[in-house]
Amino acid sequence: MKLWKKLSMVTVTILSAATLLSGAAVIYRSMEYNRSKTIESGEGQLKSTAYAIGKDLESGILQGYSGVTKNSYLNFIMKKYDASKYILIEDNLVVCNLTPFELANPADERWAETEICSVIQNKGDRYILISGKKVPVAGNVEYKLVFVQDISELYGDMRKQVCYSLWFVLGASAVSVLIIFLLTRRILRPLRELQKAAKEISEGNLTRRADVRTRDEIGTMAAAFNRMAERIEEQVTELSQVAEKRRQMLGSLTHELKTPMTSIIGYSDTLLNVNLKKEQQERALGHIYKECRRLERLSSKLMSLMGLYDNESICPEETSMQELFDQVVSLEEYHLKQKKISLISSCAMGSRRIDRDLFESLLVNLIDNGIKASDEGGVIFLTGQDNVITVRDEGCGIPADEIKRVTEAFYMVDKARSRKEGGCGLGLALCSMIAELHGAKLAIESEVGRGTSVSVIF
Amino acid sequence: MKTKEFLKTTAKILVIEDDSSISELICMNLEAAGYKTVAIMDGTVAEAYLREPEREEIALALVDVMLPGKDGFSLMEDLQKEEIPVIYLTAKDDVVSKVHGLKAGAEDYIVKPFEVLELLVRMEKVLKRTGRARTKIQVKDVVIDLKEHSVTKGGKKVSLKPMEYELLVTLAGSKNVAFSREELLNRIWGCDYMGETRTVDVHIGQLRKKLDFHDVIRTISKTGYRLEDLEE
Repeated sequence: MKLWKKLSMVTVTILSAATLLSGAAVIYRSMEYNRSKTIESGEGQLKSTAYAIGKDLESGILQGYSGVTKNSYLNFIMKKYDASKYILIEDNLVVCNLTPFELANPADERWAETEICSVIQNKGDRYILISGKKVPVAGNVEYKLVFVQDISELYGDMRKQVCYSLWFVLGASAVSVLIIFLLTRRILRPLRELQKAAKEISEGNLTRRADVRTRDEIGTMAAAFNRMAERIEEQVTELSQVAEKRRQMLGSLTHELKTPMTSIIGYSDTLLNVNLKKEQQERALGHIYKECRRLERLSSKLMSLMGLYDNESICPEETSMQELFDQVVSLEEYHLKQKKISLISSCAMGSRRIDRDLFESLLVNLIDNGIKASDEGGVIFLTGQDNVITVRDEGCGIPADEIKRVTEAFYMVDKARSRKEGGCGLGLALCSMIAELHGAKLAIESEVGRGTSVSVIF
Repeated sequence: MKTKEFLKTTAKILVIEDDSSISELICMNLEAAGYKTVAIMDGTVAEAYLREPEREEIALALVDVMLPGKDGFSLMEDLQKEEIPVIYLTAKDDVVSKVHGLKAGAEDYIVKPFEVLELLVRMEKVLKRTGRARTKIQVKDVVIDLKEHSVTKGGKKVSLKPMEYELLVTLAGSKNVAFSREELLNRIWGCDYMGETRTVDVHIGQLRKKLDFHDVIRTISKTGYRLEDLEE
């Protein structure tokens, strides 16, 4: 069952029960009140009539009257006081009764008291109020006056009232049920919106948000829900970006593999099938060798990059930076000599906890890039100070709009030049990965024609 | 089309390819097969070259799509202005770029890595289609007149049977390149010819005898035959 239905049902049930009970109580109270009022007024009449009759009979006028005269006289008195409501009893005998009722037991002792005794008798569908009292008169004869009144009307009224009240209660209940239904639905509408949003999000519409602006708990929940959706969207976007990057990288990789492959296949095909001059044959072999070396470099770089991707664990050890710098300089000696480039190294750093092998490869890569960018006779500076290691060259530089992309795998600013120098577009990708694993950052500054400086900032 | 005289024994091919080793590979093969080549490795340089008024006549351009400076597709306009037929040569083997290249007006599209023979055959077809095919092929002292369907050796006419002539034209058309016996059978006798590869050997023998090509038409073990004629 829907929550709004449940809530309305419960509310309606409790409300109806409360209304019915309180209504019943009110009706009961008012019935009681009406009845006691009627009895009171009957008793009041009886009291005054009994008093008046007592006065009339007191004079002793009845002494010596014959039976018939006496009866006539009594009738006369009774008529004076609206005889249709009273029965006069003399010594347990009804002497005067002009009411349409017959008294079952005139000798009833209840009416021999000075205090009024009232009884309501139910005869079929009629209700009759009977009140009796001793008439206060001196003498040996005992008179009792009984007041009889048909009060069926009162009961009828009361029944009608009950009916009316019942209708009112039912009507009010019906109206309130309707209002409660509508209100609960309205209050819970944000929940439905929330449910819709959740459904749409689960179906893949990640930009969907719950449009709930109430300030109640549902509003808070919707806000939390929206925050959650935002996070999910962010993460999914991130994931797809990563996937996209991987796809691009794979595309570049295929291209990078295809180019040397084309050369190798082409030259070997040519050597096999085409009649070449001796020197051409040698050149073809040279090309095959060169391209195979390129593939080999590519695969080893790729392996180390994959290795870094796969196990992000590094083995940091306390390393003297001066020693590391010296090691890198000696590793680069051959390359530098070949292009007649000088490397000026200065280290003002103590020791640091780094993975020595990885860092060595990082610096070698950066210096290699410097060598590739520099012309013969250039200078490369390797400096370490505070928490920054910088490799600066005075070579060809990188155009400003490409600086951002140079750390992407296989991105090459000048493909032809990079190829000639034996680059495969993975060096900086590798460097930034190594820096990242050390909690450091790669900062590249460059100006075309002026040179490039790459800094590793811890 | 401008009336250009291609009655030369060699046609000049423009090779626009940024990878130096692939460029050299193509040039090496084309030169061995009897073409002359001009190699350019940059799109903008190629554009400048095409606008040179004094440049040599170009029969065909082999163009890489991904080029530094100006890419191969953008170069199309310049090449069409000069009425040079284009064959794209690229590592991009997706259909979209293929269609793009052909729609732009390329004559053909070759995906790397390619075989030398395939490249030569496709080039030859494009040259024929655009009316730029060589009209004469010279091998040492033998001249093949493709228009007259005649062969002369040292000025004297040599009479060849039709199949012998076709075989000579095929071998000389891509000289220095080896053909397998099956390849020759397919191209000359047609692929539905039920003959044996022996047929090829017999015709080769006839050619060698008639043209005194015993050293020129070489048997390549396990492959087939090759007509060798290197320009010194």
